[in-house]
Amino acid sequence: MVASAPALTLPLDRKGKKEEDKELVRLSQGGTETAFEELVRRHQQRVFALVGGILRRPEDVEDVAQQVFLKAYLGIKRFDQRAAFSTWLYKIAVNECWDYLRKKKVRPLVYEADLSEEQVSRLDGTVSADRPPESASARAESREILDRMLAALPEQDRQLLVLKEMEGFSVQELAEILNLNVNTVKVRLFRARGRIMDVYRRRMESGGRNAGSHSAQRKG
Amino acid sequence: MATDTEFVKIACTNYEAMLEDYLEGALSAADAKIAEQHWQNCAACRGALDQAASSVRLLRLAGPSNGPGPAFARTVMARIRAAEQDGSAERAGFWQPLVRLGWRFAATATIVLGVLVSYDAGWGHRAQPNGATARLIGVSDIFAPDPANPPANRDEVLMMVAETNHAN
Repeated sequence: MVASAPALTLPLDRKGKKEEDKELVRLSQGGTETAFEELVRRHQQRVFALVGGILRRPEDVEDVAQQVFLKAYLGIKRFDQRAAFSTWLYKIAVNECWDYLRKKKVRPLVYEADLSEEQVSRLDGTVSADRPPESASARAESREILDRMLAALPEQDRQLLVLKEMEGFSVQELAEILNLNVNTVKVRLFRARGRIMDVYRRRMESGGRNAGSHSAQRKG
Repeated sequence: MATDTEFVKIACTNYEAMLEDYLEGALSAADAKIAEQHWQNCAACRGALDQAASSVRLLRLAGPSNGPGPAFARTVMARIRAAEQDGSAERAGFWQPLVRLGWRFAATATIVLGVLVSYDAGWGHRAQPNGATARLIGVSDIFAPDPANPPANRDEVLMMVAETNHAN
């Protein structure tokens, strides 16, 4: 049962983030509801990123993320704080995602269609400029195109690239979350980079060919 | 799709982790110097590093996925409270199959016990011995000594048996 919530009077500014988390965990273990709510606020962004990176289904992310925090709350009394709270929480998130995918029998999305001529030229221009698209619609389009390319990779490669490059997880964090050796993560990441660029090149080539054939048809 | 072996041909296996660190700027000055010396003489690793650097530019185009809304934490806490209110029901729900099984077992055991007790009390005593049992009882009676004149020695016993057989 959640205890009535006393006012949270942590000197948060004087402690490191992990120390603050430890204190919040201790308070949560004692039943202080506001302490757990603060933990939710601190980690919700990363949990969303992690769940979103693994599921690739925005419509399900919020529900799974809520479930992650519910499980964390129910298990927090058994959490011995030997690992960082964030690591423990992210592991719950990864397990929850895998459970979800297993229960729903979700298969990775398969995009059959190649990129259009316009998409090819826009993406190529953005990559060459090395500048993220400014408008929200352009970002959404880039993301969709990247999702199409990432779908061609093995699931683990896709997850590593998304979590590292799009969602900003460090190699160390990925190793802890996915129970892998740090060096293994580095090697897999490096190989996954080669694969995604291979997919990108092939899409560009086929996009270019399509563009060539379309313009030939138009001329004809 | 490129396979592991295809990609190993591109970069030197021993340098892959180091190349990843180099991309991240996570190599010490000494290690960075070793790495740079290596790929100055290794076109494969140089190419792989260029490719990996391009992947960083490509993947960062999309940016992070959308974060939670401002009410997310409150929604989570509301869900926690609701789950706690349903907690006893959920716990009961968890044990329910075992409880049901236990009750079924108890009911079956009671019925079996009842049948056994009824059999022992009534039907068992009313059952009549069949012919074979009667004959066995008869045979055993042959050797039953006459309580009035018990045989005094071995000869008398043999005589008694012979007489009984003759009489049958």
